[in-house]
Amino acid sequence: MTAIEVTNVTKEYQTGEETFLALKGIDFSLARGEFVSIMGPSGSGKSTFLNIIGLLDQPTTGSVSLDGQDVTELTDRRRTTVRKQTIGFIFQDFFLIPTLSAKENVELPAIYEIDETIRSRATMLLERVGLGNRLKHHPDQLSGGQKQRVAIARSLINSPRILLADEPTGNLDSETSEQVLDEFTRIARDENVAIIAVTHDPQVTEYTDRTIELRDGRLTS
Amino acid sequence: MNFGFLDERFPSFKLARRNLTRTPLRSGLAALGIVIGVVAIASLGMFATSLQVNAEDVTSETNSQVSVNPGPAARDGRLSERDVQDVGRAVPGATVIPQKQIQVPVSAGRDNSLERASVVGVERPDAYLEASEGQVPASFQSGVLVDSLIAETLEVEVGERVEIDGRSTRVRAVVDGGGFSANLYVPIQTVEADGYSSVIVIPPETQTANETATTIRERLNVREERVQVPNPDLLSGLISGFFDILRGFLTAIGSISLIVAGVSILNVMLMSTIERRQEIGVLRAVGFQRRDILKILLSESMLLGVIGGLVGAVVSIVVSLGVNYYLVDDAMLTFHPRNLGVLVIAFVFGIVTSIGSGLYPAWKAANEQPVEALRS
Ligand SMILES: Nc1ncnc2c1ncn2[C@@H]1O[C@H](COP(=O)(O)OP(=O)(O)OP(=O)(O)O)[C@@H](O)[C@H]1O
Ligand SMILES: [Mg+2]
Repeated sequence: MTAIEVTNVTKEYQTGEETFLALKGIDFSLARGEFVSIMGPSGSGKSTFLNIIGLLDQPTTGSVSLDGQDVTELTDRRRTTVRKQTIGFIFQDFFLIPTLSAKENVELPAIYEIDETIRSRATMLLERVGLGNRLKHHPDQLSGGQKQRVAIARSLINSPRILLADEPTGNLDSETSEQVLDEFTRIARDENVAIIAVTHDPQVTEYTDRTIELRDGRLTS
Repeated sequence: MNFGFLDERFPSFKLARRNLTRTPLRSGLAALGIVIGVVAIASLGMFATSLQVNAEDVTSETNSQVSVNPGPAARDGRLSERDVQDVGRAVPGATVIPQKQIQVPVSAGRDNSLERASVVGVERPDAYLEASEGQVPASFQSGVLVDSLIAETLEVEVGERVEIDGRSTRVRAVVDGGGFSANLYVPIQTVEADGYSSVIVIPPETQTANETATTIRERLNVREERVQVPNPDLLSGLISGFFDILRGFLTAIGSISLIVAGVSILNVMLMSTIERRQEIGVLRAVGFQRRDILKILLSESMLLGVIGGLVGAVVSIVVSLGVNYYLVDDAMLTFHPRNLGVLVIAFVFGIVTSIGSGLYPAWKAANEQPVEALRS
């Protein structure tokens, strides 16, 4: 079953007088349980592409479907709801909230839910990424790898069907990267989650089902 | 402090609280602005209350009396024997006290004298005067009663002598003439004057002073204006009107400091939303709606306002206790019902100011595109 269906997507950036075409007609689809990496030189449009799939940004033309639902023309409110329910994000800089403990950070995307099981689920997710003994630690008390694993746990709290990672190993040493990538493989396999990881790191491709090249706004595979 | 319950019920409150405690000094200073504003408004307002209560004390006694004065039609500008009788007939059951007032020099000892003092001849001083020292005689044949103001000015006490227009006489009592009165009261037969300068009427139980005044005017001024009888509550009406204006004016002055506080909150919230731009982008990315962001940021400015307002209210009460203790000799005047209103208004102003100042930064942060915020 297709988790993501992207059809003929372009993205234009307007800077002053100039129009810059960052994505030049992209077709792409991804099945559930599939783990792909997107590689390509800096400035080729990888983050732009990921943000469009993740409903953080809108394409100039073309359409995006998630789980068979066209999400191109949604209002900000609906888009946010879909994003919350279907997508988990992992960033290069982790982006944890410094005032919250590891567990609170994991609970954050579900903070307005009345669901009582969220707390135990947060603990369970942290235990699964090997941080069962770091629940009360704040981000500044965690190492880079530990922070990224908290971020992974956070991205999974709402049981997303799609995981989007922008340079997830960019700030990690190779050993820690391996742990994180092992976790990705397990999530894709065991939980049937579609994962896209944007990366410069060739190590990542060893873990993925396929690798896609993005060059100058076009996909080449 | 344990906010567990609130945190669980209101996640926005929890995030807001954590954000404020992240930069305690900055938050403290922003709240301090509100404290100062609230204290300014509240203590100025409460100060007006103290003044007002003081003034009302002074006027309340004259409120229960009606003063009948000669009208334009009165002969020689004095009231006649017939006028006095008619006043008595107009209000059966009232106590009618005719007065003969003259302005003459008075002195006590060698050092204290007044060039012109108001000397009032009266027959039954016990009907409307109360002694704070000595005794007010029922049958007034000799001696003098002085208002406390006069007693202070001339530095005389009961038993000592004062000279009125050259005639020496003994002080029998210091009285509280009510209001700002500064009179010396002497037996009426000792005042050489035709007619009466005024008549004091103490209304019967069945009538208010205002009704009595109206009755007298209606009965005596049928053909011509024989008497002038001001409504006793006119003065207190004027006074309370004046104090309402004064309070409004002082509140307005206090509000200026709140505006300054508002600007400082605006500044703090703008700074903090700019610093937290990425963080807010993350919140949006993980599914926080625009209104959730708005809620969190408004909770922050509201919290600043509530804390500032509460501290401000407490400080104002302490200040007012002091002011009232030293100025009016009655610290408990602080808890006058009117002050409750003043405190509530100051507190509400404080909160409204903080929320108002937080509105723009919150709106700005909530409406930013998540991609833009994350990129920074
Ligand atoms: N908001 C924007 N306004 C104008 N141009 C933009 C904007 N965002 C991105 N671009 C341009 O679009 C192109 C693609 O940017 P993008 O961030 O997707 O690259 P990337 O492949 O993720 O690069 P990197 O590997 O360095 O992260 C770049 O040339 C960039 O300058
Ligand atoms: Mg990028």
